[in-house]
Amino acid sequence: MIRSQHAGIQHNGGVGIDVFTPEEMQAIHWGTVEVLETAGLWVEDDEAIDLFADGGCKVDRATKKVRIPQHVLEEAVSWAPSTVTLCGRTPDKDVVLEGRRVTYTNFAEGVKAVDPWDGQLRPTTKKDVADLARLVDALDDIEVYTIAVTATDVPPEVAEAHLIEATLANTTKPICSLALGHHGARLHIDAAAAVVGGHDKLAERPMLEFLSCPVSPLKLMGEFTGCIIEAARAHQIAMPLSMAMSGGSAPVTLAGTMVTHNSEVLGGIVLAQLAEKGAKCIYGSSTTAFDLQRAAATVGTPELALISAAVPAMARFYELPSYVAGL
Amino acid sequence: MQTAHEKTITGLIPALGGANQIYGAGMIESGVTIDYGVLVMDNEIARMAKYILRGIPTNDETLMVDEIIEVGSEEDFLSRMSTLKMMRAHQSKAGLIDRRVREEWDMDGGTDLYYRCKEKAKELVADHKVEELPSDVVDQIKAIVSKSEKDAGVV
Repeated sequence: MIRSQHAGIQHNGGVGIDVFTPEEMQAIHWGTVEVLETAGLWVEDDEAIDLFADGGCKVDRATKKVRIPQHVLEEAVSWAPSTVTLCGRTPDKDVVLEGRRVTYTNFAEGVKAVDPWDGQLRPTTKKDVADLARLVDALDDIEVYTIAVTATDVPPEVAEAHLIEATLANTTKPICSLALGHHGARLHIDAAAAVVGGHDKLAERPMLEFLSCPVSPLKLMGEFTGCIIEAARAHQIAMPLSMAMSGGSAPVTLAGTMVTHNSEVLGGIVLAQLAEKGAKCIYGSSTTAFDLQRAAATVGTPELALISAAVPAMARFYELPSYVAGL
Repeated sequence: MQTAHEKTITGLIPALGGANQIYGAGMIESGVTIDYGVLVMDNEIARMAKYILRGIPTNDETLMVDEIIEVGSEEDFLSRMSTLKMMRAHQSKAGLIDRRVREEWDMDGGTDLYYRCKEKAKELVADHKVEELPSDVVDQIKAIVSKSEKDAGVV
């Protein structure tokens, strides 16, 4: 039997879904442009307000409102690379984040653990940070260790230093950090630099992605902007991640929620680009629905599943990698 | 059961949407608590989701039309060389998910998925080795921690 070569047959190369049409994404983008130009973002720290002002945004210092014109928004977002490689301690653990490639990471930041040895629910410790890093290091389908829990057995003022110490010793995978502000991010950067042989080497092979959250709706606190600026300038990966709650801190409709969510995340990405042109950014989401009958932020829901499938489409619309809640 | 249902819809649908990183493995109670056993279970769910993302590759090699004609209605595919040769590449791996019939499962202790994942978690935490950092690096990081403690006035 001769089955000859097809002249260019189309293949899927996998299976996926598109939550939005291109026109629907355009509509979310235009909604976002209107929100950022008119309502704007409330920005706590002068340092961030200065960066927005120098970048061509309209700034009202009395009310701390930053309004981002469309041309500034679109230009700054276009400076962010569309492919990002998050590096492990060794190159075999490096992870390429782009397009529709899918990877997983663990949750953060828990304050309690179910102990696998005695089954008890208890506050988390520095040993949990180390044990969970080692466990994730052993699991093949989880590519990145997000610093999973806080350490309640050390003074809270210095917990961030202990978290990175326990993490770096117990994983060779890339690390997602939830460090707060300039201070927290710098601590984690200095410690990671020690592992790879200096800040220059760390900049060449970024090992840290910094997950930082705006406060919905439309507020950028100093802890958020400090972390984003520090990550961008150290050539690590800045990830503004909105935790908007549909029906609480965002509109009750999921489309409206996408608009406020998008405004917050893009505000963070513009800031990173104004701090360091070309900074590596990831478009983050833990946005979900606020269950109005139970008054609870619920995550194991069809709403979260849809939002976390829609967010990567918006990230691709801006040619940015994505990080979303799930599992 | 509720956890596995929630993990499956929120682990799979975003994957189909092409999310580059999906975070949440090990999480229960809307993010208050991390569960070592659930973390291992989520690794199983992630592996199954990635299998689904591959879709159904459709080409001459996978359509296997010649072989289907050869086997006809007289034989089956269980003993075919192609089945043995391609099973690893083409079938999902069950891992800690049990696909045996009830009798075999019963005889082997009849444990549930969560129990097996928890046991696996204990085993990995105890046995998995991560290459140690050189002692000078450990010292440098210790110095960063000590300085942070001194600056905060907690020592």
